[in-house]
Amino acid sequence: MTRATGVAATVVLAAALQGCATPTYYAWGAYDDALYAHYKNPQEREAFVENLKKVLLEAEKEGRRVPPGINAEYGYALYEEGRYVEAVVYFQKERDQWPESLVLMEKMIRNAQRQKPASPTPAQGPAGALEKR
Amino acid sequence: MTRKASIAAVALALLAGCAAAPPRKDYAKLIAANPRSILVVPVVNKSVDVDAPAYFLSTLPVPVAERGYYVFPVNLVKRLLEDEGLSDASLVHSADPMRLCSLFGADAVLLVSIERWDAKYLLIATQVTVEFEYALKDGKTGETLWTDKQAMVYSSDSGGGGGGLGSLIAAVVSAAVTKAAPNYMPLARQANSQAMAFPGPGFPAGPYLPSYKKDRPTPESQ
Repeated sequence: MTRATGVAATVVLAAALQGCATPTYYAWGAYDDALYAHYKNPQEREAFVENLKKVLLEAEKEGRRVPPGINAEYGYALYEEGRYVEAVVYFQKERDQWPESLVLMEKMIRNAQRQKPASPTPAQGPAGALEKR
Repeated sequence: MTRKASIAAVALALLAGCAAAPPRKDYAKLIAANPRSILVVPVVNKSVDVDAPAYFLSTLPVPVAERGYYVFPVNLVKRLLEDEGLSDASLVHSADPMRLCSLFGADAVLLVSIERWDAKYLLIATQVTVEFEYALKDGKTGETLWTDKQAMVYSSDSGGGGGGLGSLIAAVVSAAVTKAAPNYMPLARQANSQAMAFPGPGFPAGPYLPSYKKDRPTPESQ
């Protein structure tokens, strides 16, 4: 077998094994890898939240629609850190961009608004850190 | 068969898996229900690998959303269900799909179970197998709109020869199979992409794809 044939075969196999890799409709970034890593190493939550934020920023930069669910996942990360006011912003983004999310996002917004506001000191969590401008 | 020919045969077989002729499947219910949004809930695990369900869940939202449907944030959904006392996926799957969907405002719910997620260490090869069953249920009627089943097996020579097809594939999937920790993820993703592909066994284009309503079998053609 020639080297070139070997390379070509490898490329074909790689494409086939990647599930017929075609460009994705949405810009997912590393969302699924981040989710996987989050379930594998839950203690590394910071990296997960950073990755979510990165997907949002990348989509914004490229002028593309944020994939479904990402604003909500990011909003929920803020919610978990007690940053309810900011969480509401992302739940609203999800709701406004994806009308199918209305029922769930309205619930999340109500939940967030019912919570006591977080202490006025800046949150130390990763999502908080990312929010600094 | 020469080595070159056998590699070509394997490549063709793999590619054929992607472009397989669509099995005759009745899409009437799915097309009539016309869901816009799909709730992906935690998966039921019938394997012995306790990590499998969470890992596998991470592979589901992308291929479903890429078919043009709104997919609810899976991690948020998982946490909310846990808060509701439904941290056991089998409780979620046995719940009334209509009630489940109404909780989240979803049109349909995708229930997936892991039938197999295992690695066998044979004398000269390692064999990794994943198998999943998928079912989409209607949030309005509770009816099953679509089902599919996918199994993927990956086998590699772990010894002998020092070359050949086994080692080539092993290199390609970046050592998917190692004795320490077999990597099931490429196989899981492959299974999903085959399950969701359309034409194929998967979903016709959802409302967010330009081919929405243009790729569906008409009642006459069925």
